[in-house]
Amino acid sequence: MIEQPAQPQRTHKCPWCGHISDGKQLSCTACGATIDARAVITDSGWSEMPGRKDMAKLQMGNSFCQIEGTYVPVADFNLAPGDGVYFAHHLLLWKDPQVNITTMSLKGGWKRLLSGLPLVMTQAAGPGHIAFSRDAPGEMIALPLQHGQSVDVREHIFMVASANIAYDWFQTGVWFVTRSGDETETHYPLGNFMDRFSAPQGPGLLLLHAAGNAFVRYLNPGQSILVKPTSLLFKDPSVQCQLHLEYPAGTWRSWSSWGERYLWLRLYGPGRVAVQSAYEHFHDNGRDIRRHSDATSQQW
Amino acid sequence: MTEIQFGLSTCQVEGEIVPVAEINLGRGDSIFFEHHVMLWKDDHTPMSVMPLQGGVKRALAGMPFIISVAHGPGRIAFSRDATGELVVLPLHPGMELDVREHAFLLASHHISYSYIRIKGLRNILFGGQGMFMDRFVTAGEPGLLMLHGYGNVFERVLQPGESIIIEPGAFLYKDASVTMNIETQKLTSGFFGGTGMNLARMTGPGRIGIQSMYVHHHTD
Repeated sequence: MIEQPAQPQRTHKCPWCGHISDGKQLSCTACGATIDARAVITDSGWSEMPGRKDMAKLQMGNSFCQIEGTYVPVADFNLAPGDGVYFAHHLLLWKDPQVNITTMSLKGGWKRLLSGLPLVMTQAAGPGHIAFSRDAPGEMIALPLQHGQSVDVREHIFMVASANIAYDWFQTGVWFVTRSGDETETHYPLGNFMDRFSAPQGPGLLLLHAAGNAFVRYLNPGQSILVKPTSLLFKDPSVQCQLHLEYPAGTWRSWSSWGERYLWLRLYGPGRVAVQSAYEHFHDNGRDIRRHSDATSQQW
Repeated sequence: MTEIQFGLSTCQVEGEIVPVAEINLGRGDSIFFEHHVMLWKDDHTPMSVMPLQGGVKRALAGMPFIISVAHGPGRIAFSRDATGELVVLPLHPGMELDVREHAFLLASHHISYSYIRIKGLRNILFGGQGMFMDRFVTAGEPGLLMLHGYGNVFERVLQPGESIIIEPGAFLYKDASVTMNIETQKLTSGFFGGTGMNLARMTGPGRIGIQSMYVHHHTD
């Protein structure tokens, strides 16, 4: 009898999240990216997210999350006993009656406002099904966090996180003050605060919502790019942010102090950055900038 | 991912919900656009503004209406803030195209830009105080024009004298040879006087482009 040679162990490293699997599933069990999809990269280095097909199934702990729909995707969790998720309360779509929802007591952090309303953070515990969606066309971005990994997310982009993901917030430090007569105004193009999610105890899952399409790229150490502040989705904590003021050639400043200018967010590598293609326009009142956070500027 | 070539530049379009146009401008090429559509750019891509014909005051959400210009060499990317499609319209030499206000995403420097004020159509086509329509004209060289339409975009070609009636909010673009007239459709309801409905009659020859998601304007 001839002995069969041992089959070589098949391994697959997901190009999106780095998760290593046996490659037998159709999609990455950590982020849902299709196994055979080559990341499509534009000439300048952006990849469209997510590299996922409809109905991709992700695993977190003993629970599963299935993402379905293409215009306004829904994340449908099947929570195992003992597993839980937390989420912003206005994102709940449906749930099984037995899934218990409670508000989360967090120190300080969640006392922030979402368009004038208190942002209530709620948690749900398994077993049972619970599903979430946002009220705008876009993409659902699954960010699996490896043990010890962190990610910074712009305000109101967060949807759902597994219970073992830790939440913190920090001031963006990106601001400027305009003045007209006696009236001064402080502006935060990136928002005053930014969310930081990390996985201190073990791997976890974070779901974000991008309006429109989402694109991610890697910046090399010292490399920088200018993005519209409100288009930023998330960044690695190693990526630094700074204000950039650009004045196009051919403009002049009149008595009313209007001068055409573009407000940009400069992102410095190393690390990943992601943007969404539909973003609210940040209204610049065009008044004199009296003070600002650390910034670069360019007059063409 | 679609790739389009114009002059010494290339354009890649990616995304299906709110598509992004990413331009790699060649030396000597430039494109113009309304500044709020910029998504990201390289540091060293030079920027200027286009001097516009004076006199007429146009405003966008209370801000002065300024056309920005990006020059090659360098990269810059654009997107709009709503679900829709990017319409790529390569213009042959000697073409004239009329486009709904604020619907154009960008145009290459081979195309000359002006706008016309249409008094008769105020409050009907766009609401507000009168209305402008952007006009893009090519002379001896071909050019690239990109528009953003809300929802899906459809085009049809009208024969000479042929006309169709469209909801004014759906209008996206037309060849300059297509004429547009507003017609009021009376809708009666029983004993009461009924109401009116304003529609636009487009008469060929030429192309007409419509969008499927549009602003609905109330009738008087």
